[in-house]
Amino acid sequence: MSASIRFSLPGRRLSVRWLASALAAIVGLLAAAGGVTAHGPDPLVGSGRWNQDQALAFRWRTGYVPTSAIQVAIRNAAAEATATRASQAASFAYNTAGANLIGYGTGATCGVNGLACFTRTPTSSFTMWLREQGHVYDWGTLKWCQAYSTPPSGCYDAENIALDEFGHVEILDHHVNFSSESDYGDAVVQTKSRTNPIAGWNRHAFGRCDVATLQVQYDVRTWTAKYSTCLSLATTLGLTSNPSHVASGGTVTVTATLKVANDSSYVRLALNPLSGRVVTLQRSPHGKNAWATVGTMTAGSTAGTYSRAIQLTAATDFRAVFATPTDEGLRAATSATVVVAVP
Amino acid sequence: MERTVLTVQRTASRATLAFLSIGLLAIGCGLSGSNPASSPGPSPATSASPASITPRSSGVPSASAALTPSPQPSAGPAGPPSLAEPPAASLGVEGGDAVAGQLGSFTWQNGGSDSPWLDGSPIHVGPGERLTLTLPAEVGVANWTAGRVAPGNRDGSGAVGMGEGSSGPVAFDAPPRGAWSVNVNVWFSDNRGSAAYYWLVSVD
Repeated sequence: MSASIRFSLPGRRLSVRWLASALAAIVGLLAAAGGVTAHGPDPLVGSGRWNQDQALAFRWRTGYVPTSAIQVAIRNAAAEATATRASQAASFAYNTAGANLIGYGTGATCGVNGLACFTRTPTSSFTMWLREQGHVYDWGTLKWCQAYSTPPSGCYDAENIALDEFGHVEILDHHVNFSSESDYGDAVVQTKSRTNPIAGWNRHAFGRCDVATLQVQYDVRTWTAKYSTCLSLATTLGLTSNPSHVASGGTVTVTATLKVANDSSYVRLALNPLSGRVVTLQRSPHGKNAWATVGTMTAGSTAGTYSRAIQLTAATDFRAVFATPTDEGLRAATSATVVVAVP
Repeated sequence: MERTVLTVQRTASRATLAFLSIGLLAIGCGLSGSNPASSPGPSPATSASPASITPRSSGVPSASAALTPSPQPSAGPAGPPSLAEPPAASLGVEGGDAVAGQLGSFTWQNGGSDSPWLDGSPIHVGPGERLTLTLPAEVGVANWTAGRVAPGNRDGSGAVGMGEGSSGPVAFDAPPRGAWSVNVNVWFSDNRGSAAYYWLVSVD
């Protein structure tokens, strides 16, 4: 196939104008196809998931028990993975009867260059290994920061590395950074871990793009929970009035329903009700398209609903507005107009 | 001096043809790779047709050879079997011998390993030449990035981006004159995993 696309123009040189035209066409086509790497939620390792909130207990592998300092680091990482997952992803905890084995030392099956490695078999088990302090590679000698009272330059933080591995065990593949890695801080699950004292070397919480994938795959914990800013989820806003018409001077209750949009790529987040958000009611004299803000709607009795009672003396158009929040990955929505007749 | 001039002319011609080849290949493949960035939310890795990967040139290991994992140390008497590894990747220039990359961090078949930034496998290229990554046709590319640092940098901090894309082919221009540790990260289609490959690129 490669031979079939080679150019063969013996004795001729391509003109600059021809080349410029060809290049412009190619660039245009590539742009139209969106040939730019995404910067978003972490990709997935395989397709298997743990059960929601599945408790994964681990113990030390016989014969390959970590040093006490590394044990502390791994236990801390397990607690951090659990505490910062912001979703119903699996939780991790040490237990002497745990079914999942974590080893440390010369038995590590991490390949010739690996610091740490994992296997995962949802919903059955996982394994994890960390290489031993002082392991000699072609690229240098492994230094765990935990092995020193004062972490030396170039040491790896075992807690950060173990958190990265727990992220893999959950379902996370390495984050797709910009090629300059300027967005390194968006994820702990990274292709290259950093050493002391480079920024990010001792991060002990999942990053926003780690959390984004965990939320998509395992769902958020509550309807008021914030969605990772690494996401950009469309929302829908419905609006109803009860009653639909009222005598002059009468009162109607207008109710909005805010949800995550129904998109298959949202997986477990699709159609989630959104509670605890700010939804604003607007009104206009019927048919005038002159919108004025009535005020913020109050939380309704059902998840994702917001309501407001209002007295009317003339036919009125209503709509609800959800503005794009600055602290989570949801997009704005405006409801369709609801007309309340006042005969 | 005369030799240098000839080399530059040949290099420019090869680079131009390589670029056009890649462009036409993309057109021929219908530019079918979708762009996750345009999706409103998280989406699975896009599936890239094997045909969208730059065809193997002469001198590159065969697909069967490329799928052979790197040697692994013994797992020890009580340890489990070694991890499965992703396929090997080679880097080369048009008309040159491709060189298999050094494998760093990877995920593959529900397992994976994390490594530092490695110096990589030595390869010599000319200034301005187009470097093209070759993978077995069985694996598609969902995303890729390429960057370089000075040899010996284990963090990748301060890396200079050389290219990125949301489908194959994986190709980018050679770095400036000097020696560079070049990393190409590939995320395989269908959530099959990812791999970091490294080359110690000497630009003469």
